[in-house]
Amino acid sequence: MNLKNLKHKLFFIILTVAVASSCGDKDNQANTGIDDENLNIDYSIHKLDEKLTWISNDNEPIIASPKAKKGGTFNSFILTFPLTFRTLGPDANNYTRTYFLENQLSLISYNEDTDKIMPELATHWAYGKDGRTMYFKINPEAQWSDGTPVTADDFIFTIEFMRSKHINDPWYNDYYTTEIEKVTKYSDHLISVTASKKIPDLWNTVGISPTPKHFYGKLNSGFVSDYNWKTEPNTGPYILKEYSKGKYLLFERKKDWWAKDHRYNKNRFNVDYFKLTVIRDDVVALEHFKKGELDSFGATRAEIWYQKAKGEVFDKGYINKLWYYNQARRPTWGLYLNLDKDIFKDKNLRYALAHSINFDKINKQVLWDEATRMQTFYTGYGKYTNTKVKAREFNLAKVDSLMKASGWKKGNDAIWEKDGNRFSVTITYGQPLLTPRVEIMKEEAKKAGIELNLELLDPSTSYKKVMEKKHDVAYMGWSTSFRPSPWQSFHSDNAHKPQTNNINNLDDPEMDKLINKYRNSTDENELIALSHKIQERISESGGWIPLDILPFTRAFYWRWIKIPDIPGYKTTSDIFSYPAAGGYFWIDEDVKKETLEAMKSNKSFKPELNIITKYK
Amino acid sequence: MIRFNPLTIETITRFKRIKRGYYSFIIMAALIVISLLAELFVNSRALIVKYNGEYFFPTYGHIIPGEKFGLDYDYETNYRELKNKFKISSDDNFVILPPVPYNPYEIELKEGAYPPLPPSMSDKHYLGTDKTGRDVAARLIYGFRIAIFFSLILLFFNYIIGITIGSLMGYIGGKFDLFFQRIIEIWDNIPYLYAIIIISSIIIPNFFSLLGIMIFFGWIGMTWYMRTSVYKEKEREYVLAAKALGASTSRIIVRHILPNTISVIITFIPFSVAGGITALTALDYLGFGIPAPTPSWGKLLAEASEYNINAPWIGVSVISALIFILVMVTFIGEAVREAFDPKQYSTYE
Repeated sequence: MNLKNLKHKLFFIILTVAVASSCGDKDNQANTGIDDENLNIDYSIHKLDEKLTWISNDNEPIIASPKAKKGGTFNSFILTFPLTFRTLGPDANNYTRTYFLENQLSLISYNEDTDKIMPELATHWAYGKDGRTMYFKINPEAQWSDGTPVTADDFIFTIEFMRSKHINDPWYNDYYTTEIEKVTKYSDHLISVTASKKIPDLWNTVGISPTPKHFYGKLNSGFVSDYNWKTEPNTGPYILKEYSKGKYLLFERKKDWWAKDHRYNKNRFNVDYFKLTVIRDDVVALEHFKKGELDSFGATRAEIWYQKAKGEVFDKGYINKLWYYNQARRPTWGLYLNLDKDIFKDKNLRYALAHSINFDKINKQVLWDEATRMQTFYTGYGKYTNTKVKAREFNLAKVDSLMKASGWKKGNDAIWEKDGNRFSVTITYGQPLLTPRVEIMKEEAKKAGIELNLELLDPSTSYKKVMEKKHDVAYMGWSTSFRPSPWQSFHSDNAHKPQTNNINNLDDPEMDKLINKYRNSTDENELIALSHKIQERISESGGWIPLDILPFTRAFYWRWIKIPDIPGYKTTSDIFSYPAAGGYFWIDEDVKKETLEAMKSNKSFKPELNIITKYK
Repeated sequence: MIRFNPLTIETITRFKRIKRGYYSFIIMAALIVISLLAELFVNSRALIVKYNGEYFFPTYGHIIPGEKFGLDYDYETNYRELKNKFKISSDDNFVILPPVPYNPYEIELKEGAYPPLPPSMSDKHYLGTDKTGRDVAARLIYGFRIAIFFSLILLFFNYIIGITIGSLMGYIGGKFDLFFQRIIEIWDNIPYLYAIIIISSIIIPNFFSLLGIMIFFGWIGMTWYMRTSVYKEKEREYVLAAKALGASTSRIIVRHILPNTISVIITFIPFSVAGGITALTALDYLGFGIPAPTPSWGKLLAEASEYNINAPWIGVSVISALIFILVMVTFIGEAVREAFDPKQYSTYE
């Protein structure tokens, strides 16, 4: 489950952080789907002629609590009703798809603390000699929610499905063509998955999910509309039970889920139902929460945590607060300079801009001094993170000397000038939430003699502008991947052309060399060393100015919601959002009754603030 | 000196007699004039600085770097700090600050407190600060200046276009009239606020482009009224007389018909002003107006709804200001309408 998520989240968050719909992407990409007739998917049984060492892993630590009780309904909210239940194709790139994807298990998953592989749909796995194939024994108990067993054909069908032009999704078409070569069947419960090239962390790519072949059959051009509102059978703990368009979605726990007694699943997925009600406004949702109509409410943002936790329900201890520090891989929030712009051709000016960003003031003024400065592009990647790389701090003297070194002078309005050019650049961003931060940047940069113009665009317009590399400076963040993947962001292959992730247009032969080596290496130590060098090089280029990290997640929750002492991993960034992913919390009906009665009789409890610093 | 005809003078006298409207008009006019000089009342730049025997007037003109006053930085002087510094020293240097010593963009950091901060007399944040720590009073006043001038310019162009096309439709009639009627009907059916939202989410508007977009959709309103009254007027004898004397179409419309339909135009003006202000505020509120960090009432309203009871000073200030301005505009409008009411003075033929 986790494995697959990572890929999906990558795609999802990238597009929402910077937000664009999958359609936007499609317009700009050639349709890579091949004519389905020519896919030549091989469903025949092959003979296994390789001698394999089978591996399994039943020893990872578990965090679920044995005290967990089953039952109850967990109420949560979504801002909009999804436009489709499909998880790919047009309009599928919405928030709710995660709830469907969490319930589609993969062959294997991994422990987020130890990075060790754990069984999921496969009981055992083995590495092939060629370095790009992995073998899997599919759990014979595994079955779809409609009772059909999961077999090798469902995995092969994934390839057929993902490559089909009928799903109308170039990203998946491309991914399953360029990353995965084939799935081979040796028996109904024994398969191998082959990646297209040797890669480090092979398991992360080949641990694919099955797709219910019996449900889809032969795809045709009607796929997008036919399956818009169909509930795909799944292999996970919950299934969509009912819904009302525009109003709510109700997921039900499968009472006889095939994997419920597996060690890694015990005491998880406790609530019988989880209901996602559409509430179109955060402020209104908070009021619903305070009335007890929602069970938890995300409060990571300081304004919510400090300013909205007011009123009787908080004072009398009906609602508890959770503050969970984590060490997740950090999205790369920062300023991305477009090095193709004349003004940024001079490295001194890039450095000067970095030294004119007063992060501390932003932090003190609008982030309640809670954020920390991101230092390097790959933060939270364990050994791959270069802790020696540091962000450039706010320093007017340095700006001064850098600008003077490049021959610029201050004009009448105290802005740097040279040959009729002013140091005036535009920051493009796509979220109103960021406005106070850029407003502070602007005021502070003025002191350094740099004029920043602010350009708040609608999220998809902003994303489009950046993707077309028309920005001066973009304020945005990429989501994370399992390992640093610098090629997409910094290789000259992706510079000076639209629709690639090298939004800096960084074109540095030295960097290319490092990245090429990094991409072709399978040796962990070498990879780590290269990753460190790449991060130094990124910092040296001055093309990216790192900004904030919030090293925790916070939430309010009613006291009847119970969680294990340590409710997550070091990478956990949300405790309550995905009952089907983590699902470590449970509802104590007795406490609920007690609380509701206490509210009637005005009795109070001791307010609880639960701060978990294990991963601080 | 323009000489008014007796009828106009009588109308003006009648307007003056309606006290509520007349005083509203005076207050409004005063506010507009004051807002033009807002830099003298609400500004982070000092009005007068005396430093080592030399006088400085920093309000208008280029920035004066801190070095000029013996400070250790070369960006714009912080005059509030300078004032405190001069206070301590025994020289005869002094700084005179405006009553509200903040500009609408300035972000003031306060140790141990997070914005929005409540009103404070000692800090001279008379209406508190907004969520980034900027002075609400300063943003209100500069926001008013932008809103009112936006509205007035919008009105001017809308009326120019609307009146021209409307009058021509009425006067020329026939196919020209039919053609424009259809055009306007179609135009009118475009939900214009939505259209503006769509356009401004694609291009990022500034003051003038937003004005352009709004004129593009806003000129229709006047056409119908003008068409009707011109239709009526053109059958009157004086028009026939002018025609018989050989006056050109434009002369007839501008010199003869327009003055006789002026009451229609003038009575609409105050309401158009109010409409302009509310439209801009609504767009800003939704985040499609003039981009940040421009001070605007709509953005203050958005913050007010976000913070509601946690920061009531934002909501109270901006809502009171809105109500005050709109009520006054309504009073003026009412008085103008009454002043032009033909029932009081003319006998219809």
